[in-house]
Amino acid sequence: MGPDGAGLILSQFPEFLGATLVNLRVFAALIPIGFAVGIGVALAQVYGHPVVAAIASAWEWFFRGVPALVLLFLFFYGLGRFGLDVSAFMAGALAMGFRSSGYQSQIFRGAIQAVPAGQVTAARSMGMSRVQAVFTVVLPQALRLAIPSWSNEFSSVLKDTTLVYAIGINEVMRYARTVYVSHAELAMITFLAVALIFWVLTTLGNAGLHVLERRLAVPGFEVRGAGGARADR
Amino acid sequence: MHHKTRHATILTVAIAAAAIALGFAPQRAAAQDTYKVCSDIPWPPFEMGTDGQAAFGFDVDVMRALAAVEGYNVKIQNLSFDSIIPAVRAGKCDIGASGFTITAKRDEAIDFTKPYYVSNQAVVTRSDGSTNVIAAMAGRGPKGTVGAQRGTTGASWVKENLVKKGVNVKLELYETYPLAILDLVNGRIDAVIQDAPASKSSVASYPKKLTVAGVINTYEYFGFVVPDGDPAGVGAKMSDGLGKLGLNVVDTAAGKELSVQPGTPWAKLSSAYFGPDSDTITAAWKSCKGTLLNAGSMDDVESYASCMAKATGK
Repeated sequence: MGPDGAGLILSQFPEFLGATLVNLRVFAALIPIGFAVGIGVALAQVYGHPVVAAIASAWEWFFRGVPALVLLFLFFYGLGRFGLDVSAFMAGALAMGFRSSGYQSQIFRGAIQAVPAGQVTAARSMGMSRVQAVFTVVLPQALRLAIPSWSNEFSSVLKDTTLVYAIGINEVMRYARTVYVSHAELAMITFLAVALIFWVLTTLGNAGLHVLERRLAVPGFEVRGAGGARADR
Repeated sequence: MHHKTRHATILTVAIAAAAIALGFAPQRAAAQDTYKVCSDIPWPPFEMGTDGQAAFGFDVDVMRALAAVEGYNVKIQNLSFDSIIPAVRAGKCDIGASGFTITAKRDEAIDFTKPYYVSNQAVVTRSDGSTNVIAAMAGRGPKGTVGAQRGTTGASWVKENLVKKGVNVKLELYETYPLAILDLVNGRIDAVIQDAPASKSSVASYPKKLTVAGVINTYEYFGFVVPDGDPAGVGAKMSDGLGKLGLNVVDTAAGKELSVQPGTPWAKLSSAYFGPDSDTITAAWKSCKGTLLNAGSMDDVESYASCMAKATGK
């Protein structure tokens, strides 16, 4: 693993980055799925009819309780049994997106519940409907509060995209494998190269979320009991 | 695959009819079937490169050669070894070509073509004298542990013939054999059991540290995998094509014997892939690949095999 190894990894770096784009594509597909479904599940759990809330909780319970690899196999091989011919990419995005929705729902539920219930009452007294109150008063504040914990989920699913190799998507870990199988002595430096790529990606992503959090913070505004934006001192 | 093909055929007929009606001559009367081939790349020298057009290796080349002589198209998909048989069963792959050993257990779930390769299991150890093949296999090496790739016949040989027979040796399973080799070099295990052809490239990676200390004659046959019952008939076509390429399977009292006619594409490809190191093979592939990627006949396959044999110095 001397200078030759470093040289080989450097010469392969464009391919590594190309394979990383596959991870980013999976990520770009799964995050909106997790976000949209996660908010829906959170709203259903907090405001929904008991039956709807129970269905939402069952969804969350299932997708948080099953290992990611098992979900990938269930979606890729399992859906075919029901006549649904999903591509590996689609299966990966759905499995990982639904899984993330389970985690994201709990981030959003906590944030929604951190917004004082009195605000909904106040909004209703001003003539807003319940739906209006939730979408124009509660959710904007809750989403702002959710950013710090959401950045955890962001980092976590970004790295989890390396699991989709299992259903035949040639992402960066799979590419790393093609390098270290032909050059076994380069295994460690290959893993380090992948580690570096993800370290840079999560650092950039979290920095972006931090900027967003500060941009969206309302100066002097405080929500009691919330873990997020505190304006005191 | 099958119903898709049928839809494609109906569509082709409809388009052709429309084209004729509009006064255009159809480009092609009927499109060739395309089959998706799944291989665990890389696994030199059987599977090399990366994916699709950039994949090569003995299995992959044979897949393209068979397609050319039998008149169909193939698309190479890189998929991890453990996933290939489930994928063939689920209709996600039409063919599995990844050095699959023919076993009765696997044969229950899927079908195999005629055997195309005989392989034995090599025992790789360190060459520093810290242990020998007997001690390592008896669990008396420094670590009392041997390694193998999960799901391979090497792993099950150790389980069946050592662990289950009461030999006090621990079996460590790995996702890929290079990781097992790495642990062997680092002294965490005493030996690695892997397919004999692959063991050559392991030792070539660490010529001063590793050696093939012994070979277990398991007489395993490799076959290509198709869905149970071969509904698309592609398994039968491949078995037929193997003969055209120069490989004959002869039943003898001792078992199946593979006989290769000298001078055939099969003989030339075998000499190009089994022996030379990976860099030589890769360079040869790069200079010859055009002929195979566009091959449509036996002549193309023959000129490709000759090119590979020449470029690898055989």
